[in-house]
Amino acid sequence: MSENNMENKKDLQNRPVKDRFSGELDSASESLSEALRISFLILKIIMVVLVILFFVSGMRTVAPDEQAIVLKFGKIRGIGESRILGPGLHWILPYPIHEMIIVPVKKKIDFSVNSLWYYQSKSELLQTDKNRINVPKSLDPEVDGYCLCRSESRVGAAASETDYNIVHSKWKVTYQIDDPERFFKNVTVTDDLMPGQTYADVIEGSFSVLLQSLIENSAVTAMVNYTIDQAIKSQATITDHVQRLLQQKLDDIDSGVRVVFMKLVTIKWPRQVDDAFLESFNASQTKPKMITEAETYATNTLNETAGTVAEDLLSVIEGRKQVTDEELEYLWSQVVGQCRERLGQARAYRTRIVESAKADAIYLNNILPEYKKRPKLFMQKVYLDAIEEVFANVDEKIIIQPASNAKSKEVRVLLNRDPNIKKTKSKSEETK
Amino acid sequence: MKNLAVGILIIVVIVVLGFSFTFFQVRETEIALRVRLGKADENSEIKEPGIYSRWPAPIDRIYKYDSRMRVFEADLGETTTKGAVPIIVNTYVVWNISEPLAFFNAVGSVKEAESKLLSQISNTQNKIIGQHNFSEFVNSDPAQLKFDEIQQEMLADLRAAVKDQFGINIKTLGIKQLKVNKDVTENVFERMKAERQQRTQNTLSEGQAEKTKIVSDADAKKKVLLAATEARAKQIRGQGDAEAAKYYKMLDADPELAMFLRDIDALKTILASKSTIVLSADSQPFELLKRMPEIKEEAVK
Repeated sequence: MSENNMENKKDLQNRPVKDRFSGELDSASESLSEALRISFLILKIIMVVLVILFFVSGMRTVAPDEQAIVLKFGKIRGIGESRILGPGLHWILPYPIHEMIIVPVKKKIDFSVNSLWYYQSKSELLQTDKNRINVPKSLDPEVDGYCLCRSESRVGAAASETDYNIVHSKWKVTYQIDDPERFFKNVTVTDDLMPGQTYADVIEGSFSVLLQSLIENSAVTAMVNYTIDQAIKSQATITDHVQRLLQQKLDDIDSGVRVVFMKLVTIKWPRQVDDAFLESFNASQTKPKMITEAETYATNTLNETAGTVAEDLLSVIEGRKQVTDEELEYLWSQVVGQCRERLGQARAYRTRIVESAKADAIYLNNILPEYKKRPKLFMQKVYLDAIEEVFANVDEKIIIQPASNAKSKEVRVLLNRDPNIKKTKSKSEETK
Repeated sequence: MKNLAVGILIIVVIVVLGFSFTFFQVRETEIALRVRLGKADENSEIKEPGIYSRWPAPIDRIYKYDSRMRVFEADLGETTTKGAVPIIVNTYVVWNISEPLAFFNAVGSVKEAESKLLSQISNTQNKIIGQHNFSEFVNSDPAQLKFDEIQQEMLADLRAAVKDQFGINIKTLGIKQLKVNKDVTENVFERMKAERQQRTQNTLSEGQAEKTKIVSDADAKKKVLLAATEARAKQIRGQGDAEAAKYYKMLDADPELAMFLRDIDALKTILASKSTIVLSADSQPFELLKRMPEIKEEAVK
């Protein structure tokens, strides 16, 4: 475009003088001014575009779960709360004047620590059959991780050098960055960014070494305070303790990181002592079972003896409880089982003995007048009636004629056992 | 027009280049040292972030150091406690470069700093752990534990050792692994097993004892109840006997007859069934089997 203009100018200069002031001159200057106008316009557009590009390049969006800080010549811009920018659109000047660091503050990051667990080779991890795993006799401090636990305190027992327990554990912690400024200033985050990576992308990886050390340290420090039984049974207490220690350490180093959640994933005694622990565990299950059985026996026994009033009755009998006679009678009337049976037998005896005495008395009274009239005859009649009745019931009757000289004779009677008696006897023996 | 644009461009380039030669930035995560003609003193230290002026090289040389926390882990080391008990600890240290001048003079690089730290840590470990008994690391009595204090002492010792020397600051220190050597673990396992077996025995015998106690308690209660019942039953029977005695009085009218009747009843009851009787033919009424009774004259009359 400008070359054209130049050529136009040349043309103008080379033309004959008489032509210079002719009508063509007006048209030439007209086209020149036209060309200048267009080129200015284009320049303007380019400048506007450049300005727009400049403004757009400084735009930064902060996502809802993020916060940002702006470095102005390397120093955090702003005072107090304005140092931290919330979510939204922000505008900054280009590097090196301004630089924005975006920190994911609401993102909850999980981190697992398995370094306090024993070493398992790959083939061991794949092996599902536990019996086929060859358990080493000892733990190698180079590869196996564990914590030490204290022993059960025993009064008067001399502390032995091996008087502690070993326990394996796996931990998981969820944390988030609470204070982006402190985090940015104090926590080393790698500056070697791959193309396309941002500060937020490398936080997790950069922080993990420090975090792992702190978690292990907290776990090891906390665990020596507990016995292995406490460690295995009251996991919540220990998790709280470790979390507290970890948070304290994170605060001590001004990391700006908050532990959101801590979890004791697994905790277990060493494989080497598995059998002994399982036995002990089983025994602890057996004990309540034994007691329950015994209690059932006790309840049944009392119920069979006296029923539901057994305990009340006992406390009265043993003088632990004072009751009126009516109450006592009521208790006795409620008795069931063996006690009731025995009382029933006694009552039956009472009835029987009274009734029979009464019957005898009445009978005597009735026959007395008759007897008084002819005592001997009456007696003989009664006697013979009785003999007759007796002999009627007797199975075998053997009557022997005594000889005149009894000395020389001997009578032998072979008594056959009644087969019926024998049968019933042997039966009753069997049932016993 | 054209010359103006070119001129502006040249000025901008010169200004930018000039700035970059005469100014430098220290970020929030850094501290720096300005070495002027090979010399530096306290005034050369830059600990605050921001933009600073400088003379171009080679007059001023700027050394920037990352002042953020670094973790350094010493190797797993076996040391002995006061009572000569071997113990294996793995100590980590969180540190950062805090004094650029001292760091520049004494250490220079992070690698060098770590190697210096390593020897300091092992010194500290040996010294502090050697002052404590093993029973202060782990003890059946939690009151005697000093594990936390030991770590604090180590931190204090290490801080004192590196203070004013390397230009670094120890932020914290801790024992991340507390272990014992292989052979000891075997002994520990043996003891753990023994303790567990003891526990198993105790649990079972406690259960047995409790069971026995409950059972014998129940049996004793049963005995008491039955005895009380027996006493009551005796009382009832006694009442019966007493009541019956009233009727026995009525038999006093003719005791001889009463006794006779009683005998007859007894005879009937005893020989009620299934019995064999052997008796002489002399007894009544079998005399009849021998002979007719003699009829007395009086009776015929």
